[in-house]
Amino acid sequence: MTISAEREVIVEVRNLKKHFEMSNGFLKKTKTTVRAVDGLNFKVYEGETLGIVGESGCGKSTTGQLLLGLMEATEGEIYFRSTDLASMNKEALRKARKDLQVIFQDPYSSLNPRMTVGELIGEPLVVHGIMRGKALRERVIELMQLVGLREHQYDRFPHEFSGGQRQRIGIARALALNPKVIVCDEAVSALDVSIQAQILNLLNRLQKELDLTYVFIAHGLPAVRHISDRIGVMYLGKMVELAGRDELFNNPLHPYSHALLDAVPIPDPKFRKEHELIEGEIPSPSNPPSGCRFHPRCPYATAKCREEEPEYREVLPDHFIACHHPLLDEDTSIVPATH
Amino acid sequence: MGEELLKVDGLKVRFKTDDGYITTVNGVSFSVKKGETLAIVGESGSGKSVTSLALMGILPPNGEVVDGDVTYKDKDLRTLSKKDYRKIRGNDISMIFQEPMTALNPVFTIGFQLREPLMLHEGLSKKEAQARGVEMLRNVGISDAEKVMGRFPHQLSGGMRQRVMIAMALSCNPELLIADEPTTALDVTIQAQILTLLRNLKESSNTSIMIITHDLGVVAELADRVIVMYAGEVVEVATVHELFESPQHPYTKGLLDSMPKIHDVVNELYSIEGTVPNPAEMPQGCKFHPRCPFGDEECVQTHPNLLNVKGDHAARCIKLAKKELVV
Repeated sequence: MTISAEREVIVEVRNLKKHFEMSNGFLKKTKTTVRAVDGLNFKVYEGETLGIVGESGCGKSTTGQLLLGLMEATEGEIYFRSTDLASMNKEALRKARKDLQVIFQDPYSSLNPRMTVGELIGEPLVVHGIMRGKALRERVIELMQLVGLREHQYDRFPHEFSGGQRQRIGIARALALNPKVIVCDEAVSALDVSIQAQILNLLNRLQKELDLTYVFIAHGLPAVRHISDRIGVMYLGKMVELAGRDELFNNPLHPYSHALLDAVPIPDPKFRKEHELIEGEIPSPSNPPSGCRFHPRCPYATAKCREEEPEYREVLPDHFIACHHPLLDEDTSIVPATH
Repeated sequence: MGEELLKVDGLKVRFKTDDGYITTVNGVSFSVKKGETLAIVGESGSGKSVTSLALMGILPPNGEVVDGDVTYKDKDLRTLSKKDYRKIRGNDISMIFQEPMTALNPVFTIGFQLREPLMLHEGLSKKEAQARGVEMLRNVGISDAEKVMGRFPHQLSGGMRQRVMIAMALSCNPELLIADEPTTALDVTIQAQILTLLRNLKESSNTSIMIITHDLGVVAELADRVIVMYAGEVVEVATVHELFESPQHPYTKGLLDSMPKIHDVVNELYSIEGTVPNPAEMPQGCKFHPRCPFGDEECVQTHPNLLNVKGDHAARCIKLAKKELVV
């Protein structure tokens, strides 16, 4: 899918923040604030897959939970089809939640081990009072077939399934209410390569058949590149860059995105190379660096980066970045030219 | 390169479970040569980690080696007494694990844990050991080494802990380093740092490395030779270039094709049907046949041997012998 201005925005996030208060130290008297998500702005278009990548502590999972309404934002708004989720009354929110579903990383810990596959997949329909009895069973079997499970597995329990099969159960459950948007939180990260390919293909097929919009949160860049139309890169609670998939990989403008993409090992010994290592570790989100949060690790950092926080802006069409010194005039491609 | 440091021949490991014995490693043979990096690749349940634990003599209590030879420089490791094994483990072969937190002792400082093996295996005094410890931490890229020596494991980040583990594993200058998924739990920028560290180590000290991983990207970055394992068996052995350029076994080929490529995006990924078999219900004949696009009646009947394709490149598939397979 190409990026176009005419496409309809289905979810929009404005200045979204989530801060956690923590008590540490002697008698828990030291209070610190963890700025897990600290001012996000982005749009998700109908029918697209927006990938969100980043390393531990960047706030990508918190962002997913906020989108789903699983936690309350400290500041900022989330619009679903131009209505602010926070302004909705209970009934409206209940309806909106039907349209916003989630697939988790580890389907084993998210599936009740005492429920059968049929009960698990049908539960959302029962909870929302949509179906009962024979109709329910038929719908569940239809969902099972949709994700590649067989009817005779209806009365089995989750522990009887392999990781990939369990992820299929999780997907069927997420699809039960005919959602519009599915947040995939590390949905394929725990799976073996051969199973990961099956699930990625399934997600792609379902998106086409059911007109779904995905927010695909993951740390594994190859999978994100495979499935996403646009990709956002997060670092310490901030979106540092957001662009079309190929644009981001061919022309990363933020030094962090560049380093992150460069660090991914390419599965081909012909392309063995020295990595441009970025130094140091990711700072704690409870005490983020001043100015640009990446400046202590950035090879291009100047005094300005230490003092002034860079504005998140559109530097090229559909290419957003928060950096004082974007890599605009250099050849930044991390992708080998010939293959 | 050339001299064989470690030789494994017909290794067979089984585990006692409530439902009887299950064999998870079944006749695995390979060797690690001096100065080379050998990668063992496989998905979960392939037996790659159990193989490494068996080599080190640290299988869990319900596991046992039932057959095969493990020779380290003409020493038969299987007949070694516990005491002699421990000597080899500290001095000659070291191991690093996926999650360093479980391998470091949480109640002792990093300094204490680094000094201990040096004092034990090399007979250094505490002061000498402290100095060596600081030096070793510097070698693995920790700049404020003195400070880190006084820290406890939980006070360090994951990448830092993995560095400490590597420093510790290298402290007695082992000839062979066994690394079991050393970067799997790390963020990608930290993974790049650790992989660079391992690569430099190989160049500077000629240490042999045996890396166990599921990540073909890590293999491509680091390995000289590769062993692919499936369901407790070696299904393919080749140099890293051979393996990626002309994989012979259908499983290897499927594995390579099912990886999303960062530099070559396709619409639909190739995927291997089905799942890895449960060790309690192993298929007859070739263990990959239920998932193999080329599997037929013959594959159900015959268990294939490793077959040389070209030079040291071998694969376990009967179709190769009959030249029926054009991969």
